[in-house]
Amino acid sequence: MRELSENLHTQLVELLLALADDEFVTGYANSEWTGIAPLLEEDIAFSSLAQDELGHARLFYELLSELQIADCRLQIEPEANLQSTIYNLQSPDAIAYGRAPSGFRNARLVERPRGDWAYSVSRQFLYDTADYVRIESLCRSAYAPLADAAASIIREEKYHLLHAQTWLDRLANGGAAARGRQRAAFEVLWPDALGLFEPVLGENALVAAGILPDSFAALQQRWLSSIAEPLRRLELPFPFVSDERGWEALLAPDYGGRRGEHSESFTALYEQITSVYQLDPNATW
Amino acid sequence: MHDNKPQASSLKSQVYEVFRREKAGAPMVHAGSVTADSPELALIYARESFGRRGESQALWVVPRAAVIELDDADILAPALERGYRSVEGYRMREKLQVVRERLKSDKITG
Repeated sequence: MRELSENLHTQLVELLLALADDEFVTGYANSEWTGIAPLLEEDIAFSSLAQDELGHARLFYELLSELQIADCRLQIEPEANLQSTIYNLQSPDAIAYGRAPSGFRNARLVERPRGDWAYSVSRQFLYDTADYVRIESLCRSAYAPLADAAASIIREEKYHLLHAQTWLDRLANGGAAARGRQRAAFEVLWPDALGLFEPVLGENALVAAGILPDSFAALQQRWLSSIAEPLRRLELPFPFVSDERGWEALLAPDYGGRRGEHSESFTALYEQITSVYQLDPNATW
Repeated sequence: MHDNKPQASSLKSQVYEVFRREKAGAPMVHAGSVTADSPELALIYARESFGRRGESQALWVVPRAAVIELDDADILAPALERGYRSVEGYRMREKLQVVRERLKSDKITG
Protein backbone atom coordinates (compact mmCIF):
# COMPACT_ATOMS: atom_id res chain seq x y z
CA MET A 1 0.00 0.00 0.00
CA ARG A 2 1.56 3.28 -1.13
CA GLU A 3 -1.64 5.30 -1.30
CA LEU A 4 -3.53 5.87 1.90
CA SER A 5 -7.17 6.44 2.30
CA GLU A 6 -7.41 10.11 3.19
CA ASN A 7 -8.92 9.69 6.61
CA LEU A 8 -5.83 7.78 7.77
CA HIS A 9 -3.32 10.56 7.10
CA THR A 10 -3.74 12.25 10.46
CA GLN A 11 -3.35 8.99 12.36
CA LEU A 12 -0.30 8.02 10.35
CA VAL A 13 1.30 11.38 11.13
CA GLU A 14 0.74 10.69 14.83
CA LEU A 15 2.41 7.29 14.56
CA LEU A 16 5.37 8.55 12.54
CA LEU A 17 5.89 11.48 14.91
CA ALA A 18 5.93 9.10 17.88
CA LEU A 19 8.55 6.91 16.19
CA ALA A 20 10.64 9.81 14.89
CA ASP A 21 10.56 11.85 18.09
CA ASP A 22 11.50 8.88 20.28
CA GLU A 23 14.58 8.29 18.13
CA PHE A 24 15.41 11.98 17.79
CA VAL A 25 15.23 12.83 21.48
CA THR A 26 16.99 9.58 22.51
CA GLY A 27 19.74 10.31 20.02
CA TYR A 28 20.20 13.79 21.36
CA ALA A 29 20.04 12.74 25.02
CA ASN A 30 22.60 9.95 24.55
CA SER A 31 24.92 12.20 22.56
CA GLU A 32 25.36 14.17 25.77
CA TRP A 33 27.77 11.40 26.80
CA THR A 34 30.14 12.27 23.98
CA GLY A 35 33.39 13.25 25.61
CA ILE A 36 32.38 12.27 29.13
CA ALA A 37 31.63 8.54 28.94
CA PRO A 38 33.52 6.44 31.50
CA LEU A 39 36.00 5.08 28.93
CA LEU A 40 37.30 6.45 25.68
CA GLU A 41 36.22 3.39 23.70
CA GLU A 42 32.78 3.51 25.28
CA ASP A 43 32.58 7.18 24.44
CA ILE A 44 32.92 6.24 20.78
CA ALA A 45 30.46 3.35 21.06
CA PHE A 46 27.73 5.26 22.87
CA SER A 47 28.08 8.26 20.57
CA SER A 48 27.82 5.94 17.60
CA LEU A 49 24.58 4.48 18.97
CA ALA A 50 23.26 8.01 19.42
CA GLN A 51 24.08 8.79 15.81
CA ASP A 52 22.29 5.64 14.69
CA GLU A 53 19.16 6.83 16.49
CA LEU A 54 19.38 10.24 14.83
CA GLY A 55 19.71 8.47 11.50
CA HIS A 56 16.55 6.49 12.22
CA ALA A 57 14.77 9.70 13.21
CA ARG A 58 15.76 11.21 9.89
CA LEU A 59 14.22 8.28 8.01
CA PHE A 60 10.92 8.80 9.81
CA TYR A 61 11.00 12.59 9.36
CA GLU A 62 11.54 12.01 5.65
CA LEU A 63 8.44 9.80 5.55
CA LEU A 64 6.54 12.57 7.32
CA SER A 65 7.88 15.14 4.89
CA GLU A 66 6.66 13.08 1.93
CA LEU A 67 3.23 12.81 3.53
CA GLN A 68 3.10 16.55 4.16
CA ILE A 69 4.00 17.34 0.59
CA ALA A 70 1.46 14.83 -0.69
CA ASP A 71 -1.31 16.34 1.39
CA CYS A 72 -0.97 20.07 1.89
CA ARG A 73 -4.04 20.19 4.14
CA LEU A 74 -2.08 18.37 6.80
CA GLN A 75 -0.40 20.76 9.15
CA ILE A 76 2.12 19.77 11.71
CA GLU A 77 1.77 22.67 14.08
CA PRO A 78 4.74 25.04 13.91
CA GLU A 79 6.28 26.72 16.92
CA ALA A 80 4.17 29.82 17.75
CA ASN A 81 6.92 32.39 17.15
CA LEU A 82 7.72 30.87 13.80
CA GLN A 83 4.31 31.07 12.25
CA SER A 84 5.14 34.24 10.38
CA THR A 85 8.13 32.63 8.74
CA ILE A 86 6.98 29.08 8.20
CA TYR A 87 3.80 28.43 6.36
CA ASN A 88 3.74 24.76 7.19
CA LEU A 89 6.37 22.25 8.09
CA GLN A 90 7.33 20.32 5.02
CA SER A 91 11.04 19.59 5.11
CA PRO A 92 12.42 16.95 7.48
CA ASP A 93 14.49 19.65 9.20
CA ALA A 94 11.51 21.92 9.69
CA ILE A 95 9.51 19.05 11.17
CA ALA A 96 12.36 18.10 13.49
CA TYR A 97 13.33 21.59 14.68
CA GLY A 98 10.41 23.85 13.88
CA ARG A 99 7.65 22.47 16.07
CA ALA A 100 6.26 23.70 19.35
CA PRO A 101 7.17 21.50 22.35
CA SER A 102 3.57 20.28 22.45
CA GLY A 103 3.99 19.02 18.89
CA PHE A 104 6.52 16.41 20.04
CA ARG A 105 5.18 12.89 20.49
CA ASN A 106 8.15 11.20 22.15
CA ALA A 107 7.61 9.16 25.30
CA ARG A 108 8.72 10.86 28.50
CA LEU A 109 11.31 8.14 29.04
CA VAL A 110 13.66 9.65 26.47
CA GLU A 111 13.42 13.27 27.64
CA ARG A 112 14.63 12.74 31.20
CA PRO A 113 18.07 14.08 32.11
CA ARG A 114 20.83 11.56 31.33
CA GLY A 115 21.46 10.88 35.04
CA ASP A 116 24.43 8.69 35.91
CA TRP A 117 25.98 6.06 33.65
CA ALA A 118 23.86 3.28 35.16
CA TYR A 119 20.71 5.28 34.43
CA SER A 120 21.68 5.96 30.83
CA VAL A 121 22.69 2.40 29.91
CA SER A 122 19.67 0.97 31.74
CA ARG A 123 17.46 3.36 29.83
CA GLN A 124 19.19 2.28 26.64
CA PHE A 125 18.39 -1.34 27.54
CA LEU A 126 14.68 -0.64 28.10
CA TYR A 127 14.41 1.68 25.12
CA ASP A 128 16.22 -0.48 22.58
CA THR A 129 14.58 -3.75 23.61
CA ALA A 130 11.20 -2.00 23.25
CA ASP A 131 12.20 -0.33 20.00
CA TYR A 132 13.32 -3.69 18.62
CA VAL A 133 9.91 -5.27 19.25
CA ARG A 134 8.14 -2.29 17.72
CA ILE A 135 10.36 -2.05 14.63
CA GLU A 136 10.20 -5.81 14.09
CA SER A 137 6.41 -5.56 13.99
CA LEU A 138 6.48 -2.56 11.64
CA CYS A 139 8.47 -4.58 9.10
CA ARG A 140 5.05 -6.08 8.31
CA SER A 141 3.26 -2.74 8.04
CA ALA A 142 0.75 -2.46 5.22
CA TYR A 143 2.14 1.02 4.54
CA ALA A 144 5.07 0.09 2.34
CA PRO A 145 7.33 3.13 2.98
CA LEU A 146 7.13 2.41 6.71
CA ALA A 147 7.75 -1.32 6.26
CA ASP A 148 10.80 -0.51 4.10
CA ALA A 149 12.19 1.91 6.69
CA ALA A 150 11.64 -0.62 9.48
CA ALA A 151 13.41 -3.35 7.50
CA SER A 152 16.55 -1.26 7.17
CA ILE A 153 16.48 -0.07 10.78
CA ILE A 154 16.02 -3.51 12.31
CA ARG A 155 19.49 -4.66 11.26
CA GLU A 156 21.15 -1.86 13.22
CA GLU A 157 18.96 -2.55 16.20
CA LYS A 158 20.58 -5.96 16.64
CA TYR A 159 23.84 -4.24 17.52
CA HIS A 160 22.04 -1.91 19.90
CA LEU A 161 20.69 -4.97 21.71
CA LEU A 162 24.18 -6.42 22.01
CA HIS A 163 25.42 -3.20 23.60
CA ALA A 164 22.43 -2.96 25.93
CA GLN A 165 22.68 -6.59 27.04
CA THR A 166 26.42 -6.34 27.62
CA TRP A 167 26.10 -3.37 29.96
CA LEU A 168 23.10 -4.89 31.72
CA ASP A 169 25.18 -7.96 32.57
CA ARG A 170 28.26 -5.94 33.35
CA LEU A 171 26.64 -3.68 35.93
CA ALA A 172 24.61 -6.52 37.43
CA ASN A 173 27.77 -8.56 37.91
CA GLY A 174 29.84 -5.61 39.05
CA GLY A 175 30.54 -4.26 42.50
CA ALA A 176 27.99 -3.15 45.09
CA ALA A 177 28.06 0.43 43.81
CA ALA A 178 27.31 -0.62 40.24
CA ARG A 179 24.49 -2.94 41.29
CA GLY A 180 23.00 -0.32 43.60
CA ARG A 181 22.96 2.33 40.92
CA GLN A 182 21.55 -0.05 38.34
CA ARG A 183 18.75 -1.14 40.65
CA ALA A 184 17.92 2.48 41.52
CA ALA A 185 17.85 3.33 37.81
CA PHE A 186 15.37 0.56 36.99
CA GLU A 187 13.10 1.62 39.86
CA VAL A 188 12.84 5.12 38.38
CA LEU A 189 12.72 3.96 34.76
CA TRP A 190 9.79 1.54 34.82
CA PRO A 191 6.81 3.95 34.76
CA ASP A 192 8.52 5.98 32.02
CA ALA A 193 9.42 2.88 30.01
CA LEU A 194 5.79 1.77 29.96
CA GLY A 195 5.06 5.14 28.37
CA LEU A 196 6.77 3.85 25.21
CA PHE A 197 3.63 1.79 24.64
CA GLU A 198 1.15 4.57 25.33
CA PRO A 199 -1.34 4.32 22.46
CA VAL A 200 -0.99 6.95 19.75
CA LEU A 201 -4.09 8.92 18.75
CA GLY A 202 -6.03 6.96 16.18
CA GLU A 203 -4.31 3.68 16.96
CA ASN A 204 -7.41 1.56 16.35
CA ALA A 205 -7.80 2.82 12.79
CA LEU A 206 -4.11 2.16 12.11
CA VAL A 207 -4.40 -1.39 13.42
CA ALA A 208 -7.56 -2.00 11.38
CA ALA A 209 -5.77 -0.83 8.23
CA GLY A 210 -2.74 -3.01 8.94
CA ILE A 211 -0.45 0.04 9.11
CA LEU A 212 0.20 -1.00 12.69
CA PRO A 213 0.42 -4.81 12.51
CA ASP A 214 0.08 -5.06 16.32
CA SER A 215 -1.55 -2.82 18.90
CA PHE A 216 0.76 -1.12 21.38
CA ALA A 217 -0.78 -3.23 24.15
CA ALA A 218 0.20 -6.39 22.26
CA LEU A 219 3.69 -5.02 21.63
CA GLN A 220 4.12 -4.25 25.30
CA GLN A 221 3.27 -7.86 26.17
CA ARG A 222 5.78 -9.14 23.64
CA TRP A 223 8.43 -6.75 24.93
CA LEU A 224 7.95 -7.81 28.57
CA SER A 225 8.21 -11.47 27.56
CA SER A 226 11.47 -10.72 25.77
CA ILE A 227 13.16 -9.11 28.79
CA ALA A 228 11.61 -10.97 31.73
CA GLU A 229 14.24 -13.70 31.76
CA PRO A 230 17.43 -11.61 31.94
CA LEU A 231 15.93 -9.15 34.43
CA ARG A 232 14.71 -11.87 36.77
CA ARG A 233 17.95 -13.83 36.45
CA LEU A 234 19.94 -10.73 37.38
CA GLU A 235 17.50 -9.99 40.22
CA LEU A 236 16.66 -6.56 38.84
CA PRO A 237 13.31 -4.84 39.40
CA PHE A 238 10.63 -6.36 37.17
CA PRO A 239 7.31 -5.16 38.60
CA PHE A 240 4.93 -7.45 36.70
CA VAL A 241 2.98 -10.58 37.40
CA SER A 242 1.84 -12.96 34.71
CA ASP A 243 -1.40 -14.86 34.36
CA GLU A 244 -3.17 -16.42 31.40
CA ARG A 245 -3.89 -12.94 29.98
CA GLY A 246 -0.25 -11.99 30.01
CA TRP A 247 1.80 -9.54 32.05
CA GLU A 248 0.07 -7.27 34.47
CA ALA A 249 1.92 -4.18 35.67
CA LEU A 250 2.20 -3.60 39.40
CA LEU A 251 2.70 0.10 38.85
CA ALA A 252 1.02 2.85 36.84
CA PRO A 253 2.61 3.92 33.57
CA ASP A 254 3.66 7.54 33.11
CA TYR A 255 1.70 8.55 30.01
CA GLY A 256 1.39 11.88 28.25
CA GLY A 257 4.22 11.97 25.75
CA ARG A 258 2.14 10.65 22.86
CA ARG A 259 -0.32 13.51 23.43
CA GLY A 260 2.41 16.14 23.53
CA GLU A 261 2.29 16.50 27.31
CA HIS A 262 5.88 16.55 28.43
CA SER A 263 7.77 16.80 31.67
CA GLU A 264 9.64 19.87 32.81
CA SER A 265 12.94 18.40 31.75
CA PHE A 266 11.76 18.40 28.16
CA THR A 267 11.65 22.20 28.09
CA ALA A 268 15.38 22.53 28.64
CA LEU A 269 16.11 19.74 26.17
CA TYR A 270 13.80 21.27 23.58
CA GLU A 271 15.45 24.67 23.87
CA GLN A 272 18.85 23.18 23.29
CA ILE A 273 17.77 20.98 20.41
CA THR A 274 16.03 23.78 18.55
CA SER A 275 18.16 26.76 19.60
CA VAL A 276 20.31 26.97 16.48
CA TYR A 277 17.58 26.23 13.96
CA GLN A 278 15.23 28.76 15.48
CA LEU A 279 17.77 31.59 15.27
CA ASP A 280 16.72 31.85 11.66
CA PRO A 281 14.51 29.05 10.31
CA ASN A 282 14.86 30.29 6.73
CA ALA A 283 18.64 30.47 6.78
CA THR A 284 20.67 28.46 4.33
CA TRP A 285 23.48 26.76 6.23
CA MET B 1 23.48 -11.68 47.56
CA HIS B 2 26.14 -11.24 44.90
CA ASP B 3 28.88 -10.34 47.28
CA ASN B 4 30.85 -13.53 46.86
CA LYS B 5 31.34 -12.88 43.14
CA PRO B 6 34.84 -12.21 41.92
CA GLN B 7 35.29 -8.61 41.00
CA ALA B 8 38.90 -7.61 40.76
CA SER B 9 39.65 -9.84 37.77
CA SER B 10 36.49 -9.00 35.85
CA LEU B 11 37.14 -5.28 36.25
CA LYS B 12 40.65 -5.42 34.91
CA SER B 13 41.10 -3.32 31.84
CA GLN B 14 43.30 -4.86 29.17
CA VAL B 15 44.36 -4.54 25.58
CA TYR B 16 42.72 -6.76 22.98
CA GLU B 17 44.22 -7.28 19.54
CA VAL B 18 41.61 -7.05 16.80
CA PHE B 19 41.62 -9.18 13.65
CA ARG B 20 39.23 -8.75 10.79
CA ARG B 21 38.12 -10.60 7.67
CA GLU B 22 37.43 -8.30 4.79
CA LYS B 23 35.46 -10.68 2.60
CA ALA B 24 34.46 -14.31 2.42
CA GLY B 25 37.48 -16.57 2.03
CA ALA B 26 39.98 -13.85 2.92
CA PRO B 27 42.32 -14.53 5.83
CA MET B 28 41.95 -12.82 9.19
CA VAL B 29 44.40 -9.95 9.31
CA HIS B 30 45.49 -7.83 12.20
CA ALA B 31 43.54 -4.56 12.25
CA GLY B 32 44.63 -2.84 15.47
CA SER B 33 43.76 -2.97 19.11
CA VAL B 34 41.22 -1.76 21.65
CA THR B 35 41.31 -1.38 25.41
CA ALA B 36 38.34 -2.81 27.26
CA ASP B 37 37.21 -4.02 30.67
CA SER B 38 35.77 -7.28 29.38
CA PRO B 39 35.92 -9.47 26.26
CA GLU B 40 32.27 -8.60 25.49
CA LEU B 41 33.00 -4.89 25.55
CA ALA B 42 36.15 -5.47 23.50
CA LEU B 43 34.00 -6.91 20.72
CA ILE B 44 31.68 -3.91 20.83
CA TYR B 45 34.59 -1.48 20.68
CA ALA B 46 36.23 -3.46 17.89
CA ARG B 47 33.02 -3.22 15.93
CA GLU B 48 33.02 0.56 16.38
CA SER B 49 36.57 1.01 15.17
CA PHE B 50 36.92 -1.76 12.58
CA GLY B 51 33.45 -2.84 11.51
CA ARG B 52 31.03 0.04 11.56
CA ARG B 53 31.28 0.96 7.90
CA GLY B 54 30.81 -2.44 6.34
CA GLU B 55 34.57 -2.95 6.00
CA SER B 56 34.64 -6.26 7.85
CA GLN B 57 32.77 -9.49 7.50
CA ALA B 58 33.98 -10.97 10.76
CA LEU B 59 36.02 -9.81 13.73
CA TRP B 60 38.15 -11.54 16.35
CA VAL B 61 39.36 -10.02 19.56
CA VAL B 62 42.22 -11.68 21.39
CA PRO B 63 43.65 -10.55 24.72
CA ARG B 64 47.14 -9.27 24.00
CA ALA B 65 48.28 -11.25 27.03
CA ALA B 66 47.29 -14.46 25.18
CA VAL B 67 49.74 -13.78 22.38
CA ILE B 68 52.94 -15.79 22.58
CA GLU B 69 55.59 -13.73 21.00
CA LEU B 70 58.91 -14.45 19.38
CA ASP B 71 60.85 -11.29 18.81
CA ASP B 72 64.52 -12.16 18.71
CA ALA B 73 66.76 -11.06 15.88
CA ASP B 74 69.28 -13.82 16.67
CA ILE B 75 66.63 -16.41 15.93
CA LEU B 76 64.59 -14.71 13.25
CA ALA B 77 67.39 -12.96 11.37
CA PRO B 78 70.50 -15.15 11.49
CA ALA B 79 73.77 -13.36 11.12
CA LEU B 80 75.22 -15.70 8.47
CA GLU B 81 74.53 -15.26 4.80
CA ARG B 82 72.01 -17.87 3.69
CA GLY B 83 70.81 -16.35 0.48
CA TYR B 84 71.04 -19.71 -1.23
CA ARG B 85 68.15 -20.88 0.94
CA SER B 86 65.91 -18.10 -0.22
CA VAL B 87 63.66 -18.49 -3.24
CA GLU B 88 63.97 -14.81 -3.98
CA GLY B 89 65.41 -14.18 -7.39
CA TYR B 90 64.84 -17.77 -8.44
CA ARG B 91 62.68 -17.43 -11.50
CA MET B 92 60.05 -20.09 -11.79
CA ARG B 93 57.66 -18.46 -14.15
CA GLU B 94 59.52 -19.12 -17.41
CA LYS B 95 60.40 -22.67 -16.43
CA LEU B 96 56.80 -23.46 -15.51
CA GLN B 97 55.66 -21.96 -18.75
CA VAL B 98 57.98 -24.24 -20.71
CA VAL B 99 56.78 -27.31 -18.82
CA ARG B 100 53.12 -26.41 -19.32
CA GLU B 101 53.63 -25.90 -23.05
CA ARG B 102 55.39 -29.23 -23.29
CA LEU B 103 52.66 -31.07 -21.41
CA LYS B 104 50.05 -29.49 -23.64
CA SER B 105 51.78 -30.50 -26.85
CA ASP B 106 52.44 -33.99 -25.45
CA LYS B 107 48.73 -34.37 -24.86
CA ILE B 108 47.88 -33.26 -28.37
CA THR B 109 50.47 -35.37 -30.13
CA GLY B 110 50.29 -38.29 -27.72
